[in-house]
Amino acid sequence: MNCEEYRQALTADPAWTDETGHAAACAGCQAYTRKLQSLNLEIARAMQIEVPALAMPDLPDIDAARVTTLPARRRSWAPLWFAVAATVVLAASISLRMSGLFVTYDTLAEEVLAHLDHEPASLRVTEVPVSDDRLQRALPANVAVFDRDRALVTYANPCIINGHRVPHLVIQGQYGPVTILLMPEERVAESIPLEGDSVRGMIVPVGNGSIAIIADRDEPLDPLRRNVIESITWTT
Amino acid sequence: MTSSSAEGERRRRFDNLVSVYHADMFRYAAWLCRDRSIAEDVVQEALLRAWKSLDSLRNESAAKHWLLTIVRRENARYFERRRLETVDIDSLTAAQAAILAETPDEALADMRRAIFELDDDYREPLVLQVLMGYSTQEIGRMMGLKQGAVLTRLHRARHKLMDRMANE
Repeated sequence: MNCEEYRQALTADPAWTDETGHAAACAGCQAYTRKLQSLNLEIARAMQIEVPALAMPDLPDIDAARVTTLPARRRSWAPLWFAVAATVVLAASISLRMSGLFVTYDTLAEEVLAHLDHEPASLRVTEVPVSDDRLQRALPANVAVFDRDRALVTYANPCIINGHRVPHLVIQGQYGPVTILLMPEERVAESIPLEGDSVRGMIVPVGNGSIAIIADRDEPLDPLRRNVIESITWTT
Repeated sequence: MTSSSAEGERRRRFDNLVSVYHADMFRYAAWLCRDRSIAEDVVQEALLRAWKSLDSLRNESAAKHWLLTIVRRENARYFERRRLETVDIDSLTAAQAAILAETPDEALADMRRAIFELDDDYREPLVLQVLMGYSTQEIGRMMGLKQGAVLTRLHRARHKLMDRMANE
């Protein structure tokens, strides 16, 4: 490691540890380290601006007893055997609930909402669109075409819902990110409302498939639904 | 659990979280928008939203990250709503001056001014790292950036501050 590399690493991350021992043999970098430590202290001190007394806003009543929560994510520290057992039970449960000739729509709704909980990183407020390549990987041309002039697509990922590959897109709505799941193989007879803890939406029938649209509770759903439906053309 | 006792328990849980993290929420908002009064508005909105979606927080150890993410989103919403309004540069400077005025010594005021002058892209990861104690990986997740991009921004941010302070 040379001086430039050492200083670059340390300047970006003060918690970085020099395992090469470069600074021990370099007086210049020792001086740089001291200068940087002093700068970091000054930055930390400067950032401690005075905080006003807490003014709690008027909190609306929420009937806590009626609040339903989505299933919790599997904890990463769980032992492997437990994870395997849980997966088997979950798979058996899903296959039982989803088996048969007809789709149990409530279960599809649950799965859609639970899927949101598993990809929280998709829900960012941003103005950066996904690349065309990324969108095409998530949404192949033989599934559907999305009109990018109608909405800012900020996330695109191929996901699995009810055993089918489903393009998962996020567009930016008026009140934050809006999740769109394109489900060409999930036929529904009529719109299914979706109600999460802080989100709401619907699964709407479109052609021979359906589209799930989930947004912040404040987002007006009707114009959103129209815009999404008009943005999508199935090609399957 | 009856409805009223569930509500009471929910409110206690919320009050506990807010008492622990209110200062972090305010400081994060203040450094994002560089204006005390806007930061107070953003925090108020964030508290409301957090209250409504409290039940989605299942792991208390994730509370800080959860609340700061709400603050970040509310800050973006605030400026999104005002994007078409005229931005008064003088009043923004006045808002910063108000924060600088409460600064006890000149060196500290110089550093605050220098941090204010950093681009948002540089200031935010620095606040998350120095003030909130997040790793570069965690900052990447919060900002939707690769870790390498976060490291580059932090490196540039500190270099700008070093240069600026050397010229003071």
